[in-house]
Amino acid sequence: MPRQLITLTVNGREREVAVEPHWTLLETVRDALQLTGPKEGCGTGDCGACTMVVDGRIVTSCLMLAPQANGRDVTTIEGLQSNGSLDPVQQAFIDAGGLQCGFCIPGMIVAARNLLNDNPSPTLDQIREGLAGNLCRCTGYTKIFEAVELAAERIRGSA
Amino acid sequence: MAQETKAREDTGTDGAGHTAVGRRVTRLEGAAKVTGKTVYADDMKLPGMLHAKALYAPHAHARIKSIDTAKARAAPGVYAVITADDLPDYKRNDSNRQGLIFPDKEVLFRGQPVAAVLSEDPHVAEQAVEMIEAEFEALPAVLDAVAAMEEDSPLVREPLHDVDRSEERGHVSVETEETEQEGEPSNIASSAPFARGDVEAGFAQADVVIDRTWRSAMVHQSYIEPHSTIADYDISGELRVWTSTQAPFYIRDELAQAFGLPESRIRITATEVGGGFGGKIYLTELMVAALAIAVQRPVKYIMSRKDDMLAGTPAPYAHIELKTGMKRDGTLTALQSRLIYDSGAFPGAPMLPGCMLIGGYYRCDNIDIKGYEVLTNKVSVGALRAPGAHNATFAIESQMDMMANELGLDPLEVRLKNAVGEGDPMPNGQAYPAIGLRECLEAIADSDVWRRRREVEATPNRGVGLAVGGWLGGLQPASAIVCLNADGTLNVTVGSADITGSNTSFQQIVAEVLKVPLDMVNVETGDTRTAPYAGMSAGSKTVYTVGRAVKEAAEDVRQQMFELAMKRLEVEPEDMEVADGQVQVKGAPDRAMTFQRFGKLSTNFGAPFPVIVGRGSITARKMAPGFSAQAADVEVDPETGQVTLHGYAIAQDAGFAINPLSVEGQMQGGASQGIGIALWEEMQYDQHGRLLNANLLDYRLPTARDLPPIETIIVEVPSEEGPYGARIVGEPSIVAGAAAIGNAIDNAVGTRVDEVPITPERLLRAMGKL
Repeated sequence: MPRQLITLTVNGREREVAVEPHWTLLETVRDALQLTGPKEGCGTGDCGACTMVVDGRIVTSCLMLAPQANGRDVTTIEGLQSNGSLDPVQQAFIDAGGLQCGFCIPGMIVAARNLLNDNPSPTLDQIREGLAGNLCRCTGYTKIFEAVELAAERIRGSA
Repeated sequence: MAQETKAREDTGTDGAGHTAVGRRVTRLEGAAKVTGKTVYADDMKLPGMLHAKALYAPHAHARIKSIDTAKARAAPGVYAVITADDLPDYKRNDSNRQGLIFPDKEVLFRGQPVAAVLSEDPHVAEQAVEMIEAEFEALPAVLDAVAAMEEDSPLVREPLHDVDRSEERGHVSVETEETEQEGEPSNIASSAPFARGDVEAGFAQADVVIDRTWRSAMVHQSYIEPHSTIADYDISGELRVWTSTQAPFYIRDELAQAFGLPESRIRITATEVGGGFGGKIYLTELMVAALAIAVQRPVKYIMSRKDDMLAGTPAPYAHIELKTGMKRDGTLTALQSRLIYDSGAFPGAPMLPGCMLIGGYYRCDNIDIKGYEVLTNKVSVGALRAPGAHNATFAIESQMDMMANELGLDPLEVRLKNAVGEGDPMPNGQAYPAIGLRECLEAIADSDVWRRRREVEATPNRGVGLAVGGWLGGLQPASAIVCLNADGTLNVTVGSADITGSNTSFQQIVAEVLKVPLDMVNVETGDTRTAPYAGMSAGSKTVYTVGRAVKEAAEDVRQQMFELAMKRLEVEPEDMEVADGQVQVKGAPDRAMTFQRFGKLSTNFGAPFPVIVGRGSITARKMAPGFSAQAADVEVDPETGQVTLHGYAIAQDAGFAINPLSVEGQMQGGASQGIGIALWEEMQYDQHGRLLNANLLDYRLPTARDLPPIETIIVEVPSEEGPYGARIVGEPSIVAGAAAIGNAIDNAVGTRVDEVPITPERLLRAMGKL
């Protein structure tokens, strides 16, 4: 199948990739760009493990075709840490015990970070609603809620 | 990235003098997981690697007439198509799901793999699967386990022989065995009776007798990472497998037997497990290894979500008939039950633990329990966190509430009155060791959810319910190695897959024994060639057994250092102690040798000391069952039948919580799965044995929106053998949810639903509104 050249910005770096038109953004990022943080848990947009931010909005990247990402700005879990330190959301997930097997975590943290960007002081119900598209089978979510609350508190404290 | 812990900053000791165990410690591998660096099997690529996609049987039961692979083989990019005829020699056992790669005569469930296509491009492989021309002749499919027990039922399959039950024994180790199928051909794979006393006399003494049938749906473990396996085989006879498994050594042993290879030539790496819950023991590895042997190239097989739902090993449907009698004062007088577990097309249903638990929570002089493992033409089942327990517990714990209600007794008091304790017999007659069932009940009484129940009940359609649940636990030998490095830090190597934070607990144990800060200790799960043996990470036994071995290995390091220090410190080992990263003379901390000095003296050129390597090796024979009590606060919408969960609490006996942060995580995670079983999760099959909801939209898992924060109360009744008194932790938390929520719904609207999940439709039907 003829490949198509697309250009996208991934975690702040412009990348040019030759993709087959049926490739998803997820497989393009994982296989062609070797960023294996985002995961495929279902391939049908139901679990959220592949969550990325595209032009400021959350997407399930297993449902987005690579050509649709042409010219867009993409952030994956690999783009969150900066200057050798973790994003406060990443650190809060560790500190609150908000992770177990870790498979949902790259998508969960990207979704949580985006939630806090939009709403720096979410209520518990807003956190529950905001993360409803990201399934976690290990934690029962309690410590994830605590992690997001802790992250929000720390981000507000440092602002 | 340094591990951040509260314990690190605080170097003091707790009341019992502990410096590292009993503290909330964050995960050793936390930074790798939050940055996406952790490598799961699907993140790996090997040079020359092929992708495998399988053709899954389209019938629940059919004779294979022909499989024509010519078109698929000819498709551009296809490297090979492998059917039963193309497989390398292996020791086939048609009686076990894991003993049969591809069938050649008959398919037994819809979704059974029958062939595989290999290609460098997974999309090519997937498309070529569609080009395989397979012809089947449909046979009668048996789908209902209860009907399958009838003498005139069609047979699910050829008779069983030499059934291998080693995997089941890894989850629960009890002194009893099932009777395997014998005599006339039948769909009953095995059965087991348990009896004591005289149930008829017991029912005659009762003031209330309840006789009901309880059903619980087939559910899927639904780990977010589907089954993922890579295998590679080279011409020298070396087999390597990287796989998402809880049981690397078990797989090694099974593959060695299957291919006649020495265990020393097989190397299994348990890659980071993206959720297992009992479902990732041994399933795809034989097929992928056989494919790699067939083509002599690395082969990767990643199940899609649909594949995993069709052809994983979910948890069984169960039909449980239960008759119980109670006296006016709350004494349980008799318990009679027939438990039928739907095993699917191969044996392996957890019927025994169901029998043990249904008669195992409460003292009762008269019991008569019969368990049946029944075959049907559905996917065969496996373990899900305390396999078989929730099904049985839903029955007994619902009925305890019903009897209490009839007699006007408090549900908590009735349970406390009858709860088993140390010395009481299980259904098989074995006596319980020290357990914390009562203590959990006392603790749940103090939970916010239970304390607020009167206030909550005052709100229409709102109610609070309670149930207990437990698990007996598995037992297996274990070993560990602790090495002192040149700089005085310590490396720990174990063979157990870390699925629950167990390596972090091992780090704490070594830091505790040697009185060093946590960051001086690192822990690695080795592969089956580099690590000392450990049993499967199943049956909640990893910290309980491997933790003991780790403790022993750290003590060995300490003893070796004491003996080596004798000349220099001029005292006997019994007059030495470890503190602050050094070996010192008791009462004279200035007469000391630092760990770093030991490191140098045991590793440098011309060093005087031998290398310091501690060894721990244990056998585990004593059970340390774990119990929990759980309370749910629900609201029912009487028009739609929707149930909203407002609060949930769990009290669980951990023996001793080595890491309360991870123990709470296990309690909350298991509780959430129990809630899923109670309200949403169900694999739905049609009359042809087709799974109707093989995706995560229609198979409904609990979401963040559904679950309130779960309140946790850790109870600590020490076990006899576990490290620092720790007992099994991982599994008991899933067990009580179905009954706790059923009881809460009954408390809210006065309606008892006898089948989980309690969907709006089932609830409205039970309320007489449909």
